[in-house]
Amino acid sequence: MSRTDAAIKLAGAAPYGPDLDAPSMLWGALVLAPVAHARIRSIDLDPARRIPGVIAAGPDEVARLFPKPADPERPVFPVDDVVYRGQPVAAVAAPTRAAARAAARAVRLDLEPLPIVGDLDAVAAEGSAPDPAFTNVHVHARTGDVEGAFAAAPLVVEETYRTAGIAQVAIEPHACLVTPEGGGFHVHTTTQSPFGVRDDLAAVLGLPEPSIRVEGTWVGGGFGGKAAALIEPYAVVLAAVADAPVKLTLTYREEFLLGRSTLPARVRIASAVDGQRIVGRRVELVLDTGASLPGRDFATGYAIGFLVGPYRIPNVELEGWGVRTHKPPFGPHRAPFASQCAFIAESHMDEIARRSGVDPIDLRLDHALREGDTTVLGQPVGPFGLVAALERARERRARWRTPGVDGHGIGVGCGFWSTMTGAGGEAVVRIADDGVTIVEVEREIGSGSVIGGLAAVAARTLGLPVAAVRVEPGDTVTAPYDAGVYGSRTVGALGRAVAEAAESLRATLERRWGAGAGRLTLGVRSGRLVAVRGPDERPVGSLLTPAERAAGGLAATGRHTGRSGSIDERRVVTGAFYAYTDFTAAVQLAEVDVDRATGQVRVVRVAAFHDTGVTVDPAGARAQVEGGVAMGLGTALTEETLWAADGRLLNPGLLDYRIPTQAEVPPIEVDLIEGFAGAGPFGAKGMGEPPIIPTAAAVANAVADATGVRIHELPLTAERVARALMPP
Amino acid sequence: MSEPWTASVNGAPVVADPPDDERLLDTLRWRLGLRGTKEGCRTGDCGACTVLVGGRPTLACLVLTRELEAPEIRTIEGVAHDPTGRAVVAAFSAEDALQCGYCTPGFVMALTGLLADPRGRPSTDRLLAGLQGNLCRCTGYAAIVRAVERAREGGR
Repeated sequence: MSRTDAAIKLAGAAPYGPDLDAPSMLWGALVLAPVAHARIRSIDLDPARRIPGVIAAGPDEVARLFPKPADPERPVFPVDDVVYRGQPVAAVAAPTRAAARAAARAVRLDLEPLPIVGDLDAVAAEGSAPDPAFTNVHVHARTGDVEGAFAAAPLVVEETYRTAGIAQVAIEPHACLVTPEGGGFHVHTTTQSPFGVRDDLAAVLGLPEPSIRVEGTWVGGGFGGKAAALIEPYAVVLAAVADAPVKLTLTYREEFLLGRSTLPARVRIASAVDGQRIVGRRVELVLDTGASLPGRDFATGYAIGFLVGPYRIPNVELEGWGVRTHKPPFGPHRAPFASQCAFIAESHMDEIARRSGVDPIDLRLDHALREGDTTVLGQPVGPFGLVAALERARERRARWRTPGVDGHGIGVGCGFWSTMTGAGGEAVVRIADDGVTIVEVEREIGSGSVIGGLAAVAARTLGLPVAAVRVEPGDTVTAPYDAGVYGSRTVGALGRAVAEAAESLRATLERRWGAGAGRLTLGVRSGRLVAVRGPDERPVGSLLTPAERAAGGLAATGRHTGRSGSIDERRVVTGAFYAYTDFTAAVQLAEVDVDRATGQVRVVRVAAFHDTGVTVDPAGARAQVEGGVAMGLGTALTEETLWAADGRLLNPGLLDYRIPTQAEVPPIEVDLIEGFAGAGPFGAKGMGEPPIIPTAAAVANAVADATGVRIHELPLTAERVARALMPP
Repeated sequence: MSEPWTASVNGAPVVADPPDDERLLDTLRWRLGLRGTKEGCRTGDCGACTVLVGGRPTLACLVLTRELEAPEIRTIEGVAHDPTGRAVVAAFSAEDALQCGYCTPGFVMALTGLLADPRGRPSTDRLLAGLQGNLCRCTGYAAIVRAVERAREGGR
């Protein structure tokens, strides 16, 4: 038992976004575009307004109330064209939820249909460069002599892979309550980033940041889907029109229709192989970035490096295009697009191993990046646990290996992640007789990184038990800036700020103690904090001023200024690549049984070997691995947003978009690897995202091992596997 | 005026006047203020809104309140009123069988109902089969399986 939020959550007493309530609040509802691409001729809100108690807002109301957006490329409602099906074009609010939905249905849209680009193949035919008119982002980099390597290599392995769109599927839908407050707005919302929501609102509405107070709730799962503002701008506009509190909760269908997540991709990957060495690699990535704005897609330049994998390859060319289609804009989903890249790169590694007669794990060990190496883009690799993880995986596989049975196989997958995102933050920590308090804008999203991880960092810094530390929720007015709970950055990045603040408190107490023997430490005596120095103890309160005691304790602010890696720009031909920072290794083994008749893949067990740097919260780290593997099994086997050519999402619900149930998650063996210190406090690396990265790769390689057939597309649904196994 | 709707909710008598098309989920959450019962998909697919009606796990999003005549309802707010519910809560707590916690009330209610099977204590496999309608996106179910085993042993 370690979670301090268990009691409140098990009592049903933790309020989440959909639970928000205010006296006389109105309920909001969105009017969604019924087609994926159209010119807006008119939006008639009057039929909705004729329903008693209903207010409505469209582009005209936004222009009147918020005339000077700082970021006019992101209008709250589209002014000219609808660019994806499900795009909110107007919003209404009413005294009841049912009335709001009826009012939304009453709004009349006059739309002139325009040609629809339903998928990436329509603008990026295989074998030719994508249409520049539909290219949001183009990145290109090279190192070494790629042509020479391919020309001289005795073996070239070349393949094309496809991956599907994935939805986050947090069980809690997006929900917020916006209340006009002192000329601005109080935005109470379920979010991974209160300051991110504030800054997004300021940008799209043209409001001064201090006029927006964003306060988080308990978050019922984020997985990237709550990392930026999504519904909050609509609720602010409605609250402004109504001059009253407005609650907006998405239906689950809306979660799928207008939520932003990973979209499909196509990758051509080729390797030049000389004996047992990979001497060259070419990658062409075409990523569907949906209705993302030109130049603003982050994923293409970030993820493409994962297609090289965590390996030493001397001659490499990477080229990627983020293409624009009439789907919702691309958004982050737990390790955005990295698990798809690992599936591709690791399936390819196994094909190389098979064709060059090398054991898959040995091939990876022979090429594994180690500390002191540089990546394709010239980034130095820091302490990195890949070799240790692979060696443990090899030992485990030897224990698993059962005599060859048709339909039974074992596969390995590797991946890496950059777990110290550059975004910075501050933390305030307070100490008093009754304990240590972290004043935090970030709310717990479930991983335990805020209530468990940050508390563990403060406790370890001060030498106190975790129970002596509590996390007090703040908002964007009462707590200092932090970027958000995403990117596996909470313990590693924000944790540094907490550690700095806590150490500053300890040093201040030591200074105030005056001359004394040795380092001041802290302890707990009968539930009260004491300062300890040599044989002497004093109550912490005796070292505080009366003003500090009255203010709840002595406070200190710590900062994490953000870190970014470096890229050797000489290797960049065009476009923005993103530097990886703390290299975090992830290796998994999967054992599967494949039913050749039905194509059903049953995962028998998974073993996960993860580089934690130093484990700050062992139970939390294990839980992240178990949860990440399970989510990765969905990516591997069932999860797929199905898009029709007209941009319609065919499976916007949990019956047809299948996430794993308990029956589909096998026993997961968790092995945490320490000793390859990251830049987080005490050497910690982030653990939120790495566990999902290698799972689909390991399962795909196990399926190939079991059947002798390589499947080049995710997910490995029973239908897809059965078709691949059919005799030609 | 329609006839009032009466029920016993967590052991207390309740009188309300919901419209004919109101779901039990909305009656509990917005008429009775019991927002520990979670709103997830509202289509019966996620299990987050599971409550006990007459002791049986029931998806509150799929039931019209007025279809239930004088029901006996138990929600997460009243789960600790009986030893089985207390054992389930203790087991989830001991095993850290939750992360974001949004699916948790549904799991706790469903397991409490399944454990109170009048035919005798179900096997772990049977309990897990009964929980397949409850989706969790955080834990990978591993800790939940451990909690189910512990709850079956009385929560200790």
